[in-house]
Amino acid sequence: MIMRPGQRLLMPVNPGFVWLTLVLALLAHMLLSMLMWGRAAWAPDLLSIVLVFWTVHQTRRVGMTVAFVAGLLVDVHHAGLLGQHALAYVVLSYLAIMVHRRLRWFSVMDQALQVFPLFALAHAVEVLVSLLMGGGWPGWWVLLAPVAEALLWPPVSLLLLAPQRRAPDPDENRPL
Amino acid sequence: MARATLGREAPAFFRQGPSAFSRFLVFSALALLVMVADARFHVMQPLRTALSVLLYPVQWLAMRPVLLAESASATLGAVAGNKADLTLLRAQLSAQSQRANLSEQLLLENRRLRELLALQQRLERPALAAQVLYDAADPYTRKVILDKGEVQGLRLGSPVVDELGVLGQVTRLFPLVSEVTLVTDRDHAIPVQNARTGARGVAYGDTSTHADALELRFMAANADVAVGDLLTTSGVDGVYPPGLPVARIEKVERRTDAVFARIYCVPLALVAGAAQVLVLAPMGLDAPARPEPAPELKPARTGGRR
Repeated sequence: MIMRPGQRLLMPVNPGFVWLTLVLALLAHMLLSMLMWGRAAWAPDLLSIVLVFWTVHQTRRVGMTVAFVAGLLVDVHHAGLLGQHALAYVVLSYLAIMVHRRLRWFSVMDQALQVFPLFALAHAVEVLVSLLMGGGWPGWWVLLAPVAEALLWPPVSLLLLAPQRRAPDPDENRPL
Repeated sequence: MARATLGREAPAFFRQGPSAFSRFLVFSALALLVMVADARFHVMQPLRTALSVLLYPVQWLAMRPVLLAESASATLGAVAGNKADLTLLRAQLSAQSQRANLSEQLLLENRRLRELLALQQRLERPALAAQVLYDAADPYTRKVILDKGEVQGLRLGSPVVDELGVLGQVTRLFPLVSEVTLVTDRDHAIPVQNARTGARGVAYGDTSTHADALELRFMAANADVAVGDLLTTSGVDGVYPPGLPVARIEKVERRTDAVFARIYCVPLALVAGAAQVLVLAPMGLDAPARPEPAPELKPARTGGRR
């Protein structure tokens, strides 16, 4: 495999970890919306970040089917129009599949810059659907949501790749 | 020449299934289909119910820290604000006991008068206490989720009140939870009556002016409406029992170029922070059946092609 200079060789991913993080992201998404920011339009969508991350890094495992089902679940949780988030997540997933080969050539900071348009487009789809269905404008704060999601990309990347960065042969100097 | 020889793309070395673009088309068409079926034809309730049951364990898990934080803050708040609450409650109690004494007498009087008028007795409505689990995190709607559902005996369309006034109506029923559309939602309308003048009107949810408000629409520009008037449910809709407080009028704009006045109201119920609510049985069950529309009106309505 051709790799960017300085990139570390990663261990194979544990499929259980992928599903666990997706469920945890859904949980965190619910928890944060219930505890902290309520129905604020600027709130970053943690689930979409994790979804894009796994679509980029594990394209064969996490694809559009997962995105579609996750979108339906979020719609039921939000008590909104069924299919609104599903469409946004499918768009997000398609764009992530399109960029996934290129994205891994960049450092994490540059990746954040490159995923920003993806999140912006997904939010645009969501707002457009709501406007078409007579939902109304959520306010200009919605423009902040993709920015927040792009800013969260580096920490989420570090966290989710950490298990694969462990040494393949742990000894007493490298316990992990 | 065969078309395959002109192809610029390399033949697939590994089978990857359908291409990403075709999958994208299929899934976005599916999402659009689900949206139209949900918004226009309202046939997605079974799917929604199934997904909500699937989602319930995660929701239950997510609710634990929320409930813990609420109970902790309630305990701390109770210690701090106990004394102030006590004096306030005593004052309220003395004010209300006076009214309670009066109400006994009024109840008796009312019953006799109703018997005299041979009106239908107002039924004592069964009510169910419920707790608000969370505000739906959708910036486009105003909904809350209750912790009671079909299993606990809730019914679709039940009015939901808190201790201050009408909160909304149960609009979606799941086995274990239910969705309440608040009176401030854009799509919610509630028939009200001005308690001072007795004029009936319809209050619509209004999220454009402030965060949570109502608008009393279709009142004539010279109608007798004043700031501070109390709006109560009128009971003509067959959903809300009459006499429940809904909102208070905050601002009246009368313009000479408009037929109707713009009347803004603030809801009395805690639409943003209600925790304990009461779900009443819907009134429509004991109301007489709606009369059939007059048959001769039908051709006039459909004959709009002319």
